[in-house]
Parts: sequence; C-alpha cells; structure tokens
Amino acid sequence: MNRRLFVASTISSALAACSPIGTALNNNEAFHTLLGVAQPLNHKLIGTRGLAKEYREADIMRDFPLTGFDPPSNSTYMDYLANGFSSYRLIVDGAVEHRQGFSLAQLQKMSQTTQITRHDCVEGWSAVGKWSGVRLSDLLDVVKPRSDARYVVFHCMDADEQGTPYYESLDMHQAAHPQALLALRLNDAPLDAKHGAPVRLKVPTQLGYKNAKWVNHIELVGSYANIAMGKGGYWEDEGYEWYAGI
Amino acid sequence: MRRKIYRYPFLLRLSHWFWVIAFAALVSSGLQIFNATPYLDASDQSNPAHRVLSIGSPADGVGTTTLFGKTFTTTGWLGWVDDGMGGHAPRAFAGWITIPSYQDLADGRRWHFFFAWLALLCWLGWLVSAAIKGSLKDLILRPSDLPKLWPMQAYYLKLRKEPPPHGIYNPLQKASYNVILFVIAPLVVLSGLALSPGIDAIAHPLTSFFGGRQFARLWHFTGMILLIGFFLIHTFQIATQGIINQLNSMITGWYRLREDDGVGP
Repeated sequence: MNRRLFVASTISSALAACSPIGTALNNNEAFHTLLGVAQPLNHKLIGTRGLAKEYREADIMRDFPLTGFDPPSNSTYMDYLANGFSSYRLIVDGAVEHRQGFSLAQLQKMSQTTQITRHDCVEGWSAVGKWSGVRLSDLLDVVKPRSDARYVVFHCMDADEQGTPYYESLDMHQAAHPQALLALRLNDAPLDAKHGAPVRLKVPTQLGYKNAKWVNHIELVGSYANIAMGKGGYWEDEGYEWYAGI
Repeated sequence: MRRKIYRYPFLLRLSHWFWVIAFAALVSSGLQIFNATPYLDASDQSNPAHRVLSIGSPADGVGTTTLFGKTFTTTGWLGWVDDGMGGHAPRAFAGWITIPSYQDLADGRRWHFFFAWLALLCWLGWLVSAAIKGSLKDLILRPSDLPKLWPMQAYYLKLRKEPPPHGIYNPLQKASYNVILFVIAPLVVLSGLALSPGIDAIAHPLTSFFGGRQFARLWHFTGMILLIGFFLIHTFQIATQGIINQLNSMITGWYRLREDDGVGP
C-alpha cells in the first residue's frame, strides 16, 4: 500500500511539474524557436488549397460576433463615419504598375461577389456570415502587381492601446484565391463600423486574425521584414503564426 | 525467479516515452487553448442552444461549470482559478495545469502543434516498425481473444484463480491498447485536423463527419478525457502489477514474466 501511495504521489508531482517546467522551457529562446518548426510544416502541407465551404442563407448568424479591436477613434475615421465614407480612399501601391486610390463608390461599381462562409476565430468560436464585395484578385488585376511583388500587405486604420496599428499580409498565392474578398457588405447591409467599415479582408480559408478590418491601404511588397516588427501582421508580431490556416 | 523475456523493442520504448512527454504537453497546451473560448457546442457554428460544457465566472471570486445545462460551483477548480502569476482570475483551467502557466494562446498553440507532430510521428514510426518486424500481430485483438476477455477481468477481480492462456499481451491489454491506438488516438488527431479552416477547405467531409467545427472541438476534448482516463487506469495497473518490473521493462525491454501472465509466449 505504501508503494501505491508512493507511486500516486510521484505521478501527481510529475503532473504538477509539467506546467512550471513547460513555462520555463517556453521562456527559453532556443526551445521556443524549436517549437516553431511545426509552422512551416503546417503551411507546406495544408497551404491554401480548395474552397471554404459555402453555406445556405438559413445558416447565417444574424448577430455576427465581435472580438479584437474597437473601431478606430481617430478624427479621420470620425470624418469618414460622418460623411458616409465619401472621402475614404483605398490606396493600393508598392510593387505595382499602376498605383491607385479607390473611392468606396468605385469599389462598389466593380464586379461584386458574395460568399456565405464560416468565420473561424483563433480563440475557438465560429460564425457563418454573408460577405459581399470585390474579389482581391480583381483589384490586383487593375493595379497590376510587378514581378517582384511577393506579399500583399493590408494596412488598417485601427490601432491598439499603445497606438500600434493593425496590419496583415497574404502571399500572392493566397491573394489569388477565388474566395479572398475585400468585403464591403455583411449580411446584406453595408459593413458597420464595428465589423470593419468600409472595407475588410475576408479569407475564409484562414483564421479570423487574417481577416483585417478597416483596411485603407494595400501595399505590395517583396518582403514584410521591414514592416512593424517584421512578422507580417499585428498578431504575428505578438507571437501568432503567419500561416493562419490551422 | 521467473523467466525474463524481451518484450518491448527499442522503437516501442522510445515512442512510449516520447508519447508520455507529448501527451503531457498536448493536454496542458490544449487546456491553454480551451481557455480562450471556454465552452463546447455540439454544432458547427458556436451556438449557446447546443452548449454541452461551459466554464465561466459569473462574478469575481466565483467559478462555475455548466455541463448539459446543470451548473455547479467550481470556485478554485474551474472558472475562478490561479492565473499562473501568483493571483487569481476568471479562467477556465488553472495556471498549474496549463502551458504556459499564464494565459497565452499564441504560445499554447505553438506547443500544441509541435507536440502534435511529435506524437503523430511516434505513432507512425512505432506502427510501421511493428508492422515490418511482425510484433504488431502480438498486439492485434482477434476474434479468438473475445471469449477470454471476461475470464481475464474475472481474474483481475479475484473471481478466478488462473488467468486464461494468452500470448505476450493478455486479452484485456490487447483490447485497451487497440482501442487507444486505433480508435481514440485517430479520433483525437482527425477531430483536431477538422478544426483547421485550411484543412476544412480541402476536405469538407472531415469536419462534417464530426458534426461541424464546434462539434469537432467537442470531440477533440472528449478524446482527451478518454486518453486521460486510459492514462489513469494504465498507471494504476503499472503501479499495482509490479511497478519496478514494469518500469524497468519499458526502459530496457526485458520483462520478468509474472504469475498473471498466463502460459506466456
């Protein structure tokens, strides 16, 4: 019986040691880097293939959930809200043949597509929404990416409490995906301020944090290493994976 | 002294201990990930009407757990727990059981994906080598084992003096290892893969098979509970069936046959 007690206490102390040992290893730079080897493997094996499932109208979650940042509170955005985004321009520049600014009206006049897809948050929740807008590839066709363009970076109008702006990036393959959408509408209404008005990115094959809200500047680059902390996105700079397909 | 046999080949021993490490890392990083959305729904989208489990904190200093609509106060255990930084916080699973101890979804995912690969490669490595070397046939449960399941259980319950004759593994060991290795482990891997929007885009039927993404999350969690259940029974068995011999054999490969090993190979 003493032996059983000994074994039971050994097992419970081993269990209780997992978290402190794990936390200490997590703070070890070399081990933390080693843990990261799974990411390129996931990216390579899963990648961006196939199409996200399309749902029926009846599946739409009308009160679409919100996490992440509050809408921008700067004066420019306040002006946009006041004038119905008539002064808003989506600037597309960087490694493109024709840099251009698009007004909301111009974007609305371009060919519109609609998808009813499920939004999967990195935190775990899911919600189906109906998104309409301009296919990212259609917009890129207008500005014509140069051959040195490797990534499409989405700069956003919102920022965290320290004033660090939100941004995200896709590679050219992900940007060419037929479901990669610059959404102007959610559930049959223009995007509201909380859901990223007037333009947000929708990539249903990747987790929510890729789906940048309040986009006002799209920059094509050869590398994102010199943008912000160099990881290709706001949450990537905070330690999340650049490949958000898992 | 009873006869010793070489029971566990090197790759089995190696993958066994890697599995122990990976399992501990996967459970504790998995609970870390669960904490980010501390509820499980039996549906595709998140849907409170199909909520099976939720852990929350309705007020400071109070933790509650709701299972199938029944709410229990679980302060200190679930919902309101140690935050991994010396204080207490509204958090589903406590800091002492998560990696990292404090709330950090990004690093929890980093751990989870690394050790998921390690566990999967161990499983594949063991399976392929066991199949090639022919030791897999000692483990596979056969129809002829089925009538021996109850006699073996009866022996464990001391209702029977002798265990039924069997090979390297007794019929109950075969049954439980087969269920774990070929049913529960694949269930956990596949339901985990079904959570990935990238994989869902490649293989809708996988996510649909589990009843949708949130349901897959519920399956993934349930699979973990079953694995923990196996782990507890397994360690209890090891602890009570000659712990030194058992541990020694999983390190060196050499196992000293015991009375309850029946006729032996």
